[in-house]
Amino acid sequence: MKIIGIGTLFSGGRGIDAFQQALAKGWQAPSPLACRDRTLPAYQVDLDGMADRTVLKKLRRADKLSKIAVVAASDAVADSGLGAAEQQKMGVIVATAFGAHATTFAFLDGILEYGDAAVSPTIFSNSVHNAAASYISSALAIQGPTLTVTQFFFSFQAALQLADAWLREGRVEDVLVGAVDQVGEVMGYIAASRLAIARDGRIKPFVFSPAEAVPGEGAAFFVMSSRDRGSAYCTVDGLRFHDDLSGPVRSDLDILDADGLSIDESSYISSLVPGVPAAAYAPLYGSMMIGSAFSCAAGALMLKEQRCFASPVPDNPRGLAIVREPADSSIEFIRCIRYNCSTDRAVIELKKA
Amino acid sequence: MNSRPVLITGLGALSAAGATVADTAATFRSGRPGGGPVTLFDSPLAYPAFEVKDLPRTFLREGLRTVSLALAAVDEALQEAALVKELPKFRVGVCLGTTVASQLNDLDFYRSYRSTGSAPLEPVERYLKGNLSDAVARAVNARGPSLTIVNACSSGADAIGVALTWLRNGLCDIAIAGGADELSRIPYCGFASLGIMSAELCAPFDRDRKGLNLGEGAGVVILETAECAAKRGASSDLFLAGYGSCADAYHLTAPHPEGLGLERSLAKAFAQAGIGPGDVGFVNAHGTATLENDAAEGKVLAKVFGPGIAVLSTKGFTGHTLGAAGGLEAVFTALGLREGRVPASAGFRNQDPLIPLAPVQKETPVSARFAVSTSLAFGGNNAALVIGREVKA
Repeated sequence: MKIIGIGTLFSGGRGIDAFQQALAKGWQAPSPLACRDRTLPAYQVDLDGMADRTVLKKLRRADKLSKIAVVAASDAVADSGLGAAEQQKMGVIVATAFGAHATTFAFLDGILEYGDAAVSPTIFSNSVHNAAASYISSALAIQGPTLTVTQFFFSFQAALQLADAWLREGRVEDVLVGAVDQVGEVMGYIAASRLAIARDGRIKPFVFSPAEAVPGEGAAFFVMSSRDRGSAYCTVDGLRFHDDLSGPVRSDLDILDADGLSIDESSYISSLVPGVPAAAYAPLYGSMMIGSAFSCAAGALMLKEQRCFASPVPDNPRGLAIVREPADSSIEFIRCIRYNCSTDRAVIELKKA
Repeated sequence: MNSRPVLITGLGALSAAGATVADTAATFRSGRPGGGPVTLFDSPLAYPAFEVKDLPRTFLREGLRTVSLALAAVDEALQEAALVKELPKFRVGVCLGTTVASQLNDLDFYRSYRSTGSAPLEPVERYLKGNLSDAVARAVNARGPSLTIVNACSSGADAIGVALTWLRNGLCDIAIAGGADELSRIPYCGFASLGIMSAELCAPFDRDRKGLNLGEGAGVVILETAECAAKRGASSDLFLAGYGSCADAYHLTAPHPEGLGLERSLAKAFAQAGIGPGDVGFVNAHGTATLENDAAEGKVLAKVFGPGIAVLSTKGFTGHTLGAAGGLEAVFTALGLREGRVPASAGFRNQDPLIPLAPVQKETPVSARFAVSTSLAFGGNNAALVIGREVKA
């Protein structure tokens, strides 16, 4: 399947152009997230500062997670150039690790403050996991199959696998597939309690252990197509899960999703192939279980542009071969590699279109 | 589309209607609904619910009631499929739907954080271990694809549809599919706030229906390719013929009043199954007993199948089990085909003049080769499953 459109929204801005600029510009400091009596660094999306008179006006009652998802999804569809008729028939798969947790906690506020009989139906409606997908389908008039899926670290990869299967069986000709998650006060507390937070705001992906995190939020959506289109970013050539070692490893660049969500991320080292440089871009958008979607966007951009972007935080105590400077490159294959806390692995294999 | 045959070799069901498929069939025959006051949590609200009273201790996982419910239904389904010990030999996928288990909504955890700025993390750790499909996959040692569907009330049906896609794409040989959900205070309050819960036992499709009752349970099917079944010497006369899913693209909480998404879903499911509405013997409808759902769904079913189609809602026996509903109702649909009869639609008394059909009011024999289970979800998603039974000459 081919990636024919991408939409991203993260702390660095909206749209694939903003993401490309962030990749070129390098590391930027996160902003403070207040968690009661302390703050921690976090990469947060600023929706209030976003000028939008078309998509967001349809979402006045939606929560932040849904708005982030719809904006990125809408931009991916626009980027794809699909016509209205094609758009109407496409499928939608939204991946999320945690869903609308901030809205869920707001609903719990209602129970605790006002009692079981006086909670807000609007907040409840927005807390349901598939609310974002519902807003996407209604805002973009998409009437195909619409699913929301969750698999923690591998939510995006599993969604991508299903999108590929839908295309192969002819259920749809195009799929809008993407991932969204948000950060919030309670999730910040959980992150600060369970993880080592990088107090200097820098995720250092190649330190591996002890790994430090900076929570992030955002969405990356892709229009996947079975059709042959000239303007594709790249092809998703394969998806490998767990111990699938079948076939040769083909890679000109490995993007590691090391982002501090596990204290020890040394497993990534075993995935590296001699002679293949590695990069990691989580320092641009933050630590997210769905961060692989952003890695996939970075890989797709690099294959299209035939240009490698530098790892934004190049601390590299093991002296690994990493991309230190941006450079025009001849890239045929990119692997996006993610490990979970149980050291299971998922790999997205991208190929030049 | 790939039309590789996919057999249903095992069924598992656990709900207020029974701890097993056989228990459920007995409850269906007795016609006695199992709803009553909520006992699982305290709430000043007084809406009846359908609780599982006899969850076997073997499957209990502390703080993970949805996983526990799922494990019980999975075990029953694997027993029927004769796969309990054989499973690790095959590429097995797990695709289950849920709503409650996907949310980090532990009220005690949050109350503590609100009041003190800190809270014990055990509920968070449990939640992180409680991804439904992963938890089941770990428990049964399945190493194929794993995916939890969180599509609100169609989650279970969609999970079965996703598993069908996996099997027909060769991603696994066997799939454990369906849905599970526990009764939780959070959606209980939420659905009450939406004004769609009934203070009486629910009455799907009835003229005087006042809303839904929540329930809990798990419904699981074992799906496998015919080649895999043949290789291990298994057989089944039940098969999954088609799945269709379409969004209304209309509203966050209300179905499209004309049920356009459901109608398209049925057409997609028929196309995949290679059948038409005339081949269908009965429909296990979503039938939640809310005004909007039953009106929209009834219109579509009458339009697509004609007003004489045998329709039932089993929510009068189970309550609305949310993410489990599509799984349970797929099991009940398969059971109806296997037994050649469907139960009376519990709770129904009077036909609604605004709905051009009435559900079956007594146990009804069915002899068709195909039956349909429909699901309509919060968020405007719709799903239809076509289940078939090979009739031996």
